[in-house]
Amino acid sequence: MSNVKLGLLVFWTTFWTGFPIKMVIALLLLTAHIHPWDGIGLEALLLLSIPIDIWALGLCARTVFLERLSVDSPKGMGLRLWAQWAVFSVIYLPLLFLIVGGAKALAKSATEATVHFVEESFMVIPVAEKITIELLMWATPTTLVLIAMLYGWMFGLGALAQRQVRVSTPVDGSFQDIVCQWDVLRIPKDQPLLLTAFTGVGVVLVFLFWGLIPVSTPHPHEEYEFIHVDKVEKKIVPKDVIKSAEKVLARAEATIKELGKKNSGDDKPKDDKKPAAKVEPKPSPQ
Amino acid sequence: MSGQQNSVNEPNAFEKVVDFVDERVGLKTIQAKMLNEPVPGGSRWAYAFGSVLLFIFILQVVTGILLMFYYVPSTDHAYASTQYIIHEVDYGWFLLSYHFWGSSAMVVMVFAHMSQVFLWGAYKKPRELVWLVGLALFGIVMAFGFTGYLLPWDQRAFWATVVGVEIMDKTPLIGDFMARFLKGGPTPGQMTISRFFVIHVMVLPGALMGLAGLHIFLFRKAGPAGPFRGTPEQIKAKTDYFFPRQIWKDIVAMASVFLIICSLALIEPVVLLEEATPDPGDYHPEPEWYFLFLFQLLRLKIFGGELGQLMGALVLPGAFMALLAALPFIDTSPERNIFKRPASLIGWILVMLMILVFTVSAIINRDFLD
Repeated sequence: MSNVKLGLLVFWTTFWTGFPIKMVIALLLLTAHIHPWDGIGLEALLLLSIPIDIWALGLCARTVFLERLSVDSPKGMGLRLWAQWAVFSVIYLPLLFLIVGGAKALAKSATEATVHFVEESFMVIPVAEKITIELLMWATPTTLVLIAMLYGWMFGLGALAQRQVRVSTPVDGSFQDIVCQWDVLRIPKDQPLLLTAFTGVGVVLVFLFWGLIPVSTPHPHEEYEFIHVDKVEKKIVPKDVIKSAEKVLARAEATIKELGKKNSGDDKPKDDKKPAAKVEPKPSPQ
Repeated sequence: MSGQQNSVNEPNAFEKVVDFVDERVGLKTIQAKMLNEPVPGGSRWAYAFGSVLLFIFILQVVTGILLMFYYVPSTDHAYASTQYIIHEVDYGWFLLSYHFWGSSAMVVMVFAHMSQVFLWGAYKKPRELVWLVGLALFGIVMAFGFTGYLLPWDQRAFWATVVGVEIMDKTPLIGDFMARFLKGGPTPGQMTISRFFVIHVMVLPGALMGLAGLHIFLFRKAGPAGPFRGTPEQIKAKTDYFFPRQIWKDIVAMASVFLIICSLALIEPVVLLEEATPDPGDYHPEPEWYFLFLFQLLRLKIFGGELGQLMGALVLPGAFMALLAALPFIDTSPERNIFKRPASLIGWILVMLMILVFTVSAIINRDFLD
């Protein structure tokens, strides 16, 4: 197996095995208002990531070695390989950032000069087209440099893994036998027990999460603030309610009396007025 | 002595409950069938996309129901009730933000799942119907995003809907009817919000559940395609069971996606803009991020004018979808190895690059507008 393929296989599986555990830590830090990308949050995350990475690397590298190369790794490979990968990455990754950053800056300035020259000499390029052309012109070489550098990184990681392969002991048996043996070594046979344990850990983390998360929004909008209207609760005193009800009734009684007096005055016969028209009863439909 | 042995063999309370349920529904048979299902060629991370999609959908339903307890689908109250969810309801801001980012995750996962099926050649005979139902599900996921975007009733929601419905209006024959049906009036208003809400919470979930059931049924009927490389003997030799490897990968993938959505909800929670008005003011209307590439494409000179807009907004995407639907019937070669199907590989790379480049262009374009 080539260095790049081995490096990629081990790195890819290790990354995904450790990722959810690191995400749980990052999320719990976030709920406690500690940003995991700067200051103490970043330091805590990086520190806690070390044992996770050592465990994940040991597990995943051993799986790849057994299943793909039919060799069993020596004891303590996780820690050894992690230390070698860490030293290599500490040297290589800043170099990668430096070279890719330089390539990007160079490509951007070349693109700007070219587009400027075309616009000065030939034609004005519409905004939408200009954005896409410029993006393609600087992003294509930058991406190629990035891919080449990542290839080099994987080659290096793979070469270090190959050194561990060389000191590993060959394993006899078919692929199925090796896989079964490896599964028996690390996975409990009881399926419901394993799934229940996973669920249990999940439930604990969920409780922890809801316990830490802020109840109301930690990011209120700066421009469109929510206008909170305080509700004034009216106190109900039964005596007052009865008093006011009595007042309303008294007022209503007075009004009725007044209306009665008025009506009795209006009922006096008025000779000058025509008698009201007689309403004929409507015939019933039958 | 025998009494002691009897007490050891006696099932405990939990086992008794399990036995009771098992006797009636065949729990252990279901468990054995699900967990011991053979995975041809061994487990793969790439097979986790389907399970992750189902997982995200279930959580979208749960958060959606919780949001519906407080949301009022009327032009008078939609904005205020969304504000209330964000500021007053306990954890409401998180539920809304999770629902918002969950919808984006669903679109990403649909793209990933479709890409995996395409690259693996898993749409070929006898899985044509699985592919076709999957395409319909893709359309439903997009419709979920479109209808849900209007509901908060802020400027972003209002104008994204205006742009979307205008694009729909350009469809020959049915465009006018569709636009009028969705809007229910000349401009988005009460009828629009009512219709979008009903489609979002009733029609689409029903359609998705039905089609997802059909998708899974057809998939199980045809069986998993397995890896695209290797002889049948090699694939058979590497076959293992769903438990423990594939289920471990599925759990890790689901946990990762769930944690990413939660983190995004905490880092970038939903914030509303000004309440929707028919005057855009300083706001530059634009659709959800997954439609941005199409929006930017329409800004190109080549797609200017009535005919150009029709071509860019409908003819090209329509033709692309028709091509995807016809794919299993055009590409009838049994070859599944993507490295031996150069046209498919180049086509997929070009489509992905086009989406990426125009989405980034649309983001850069915002600076020019501001």
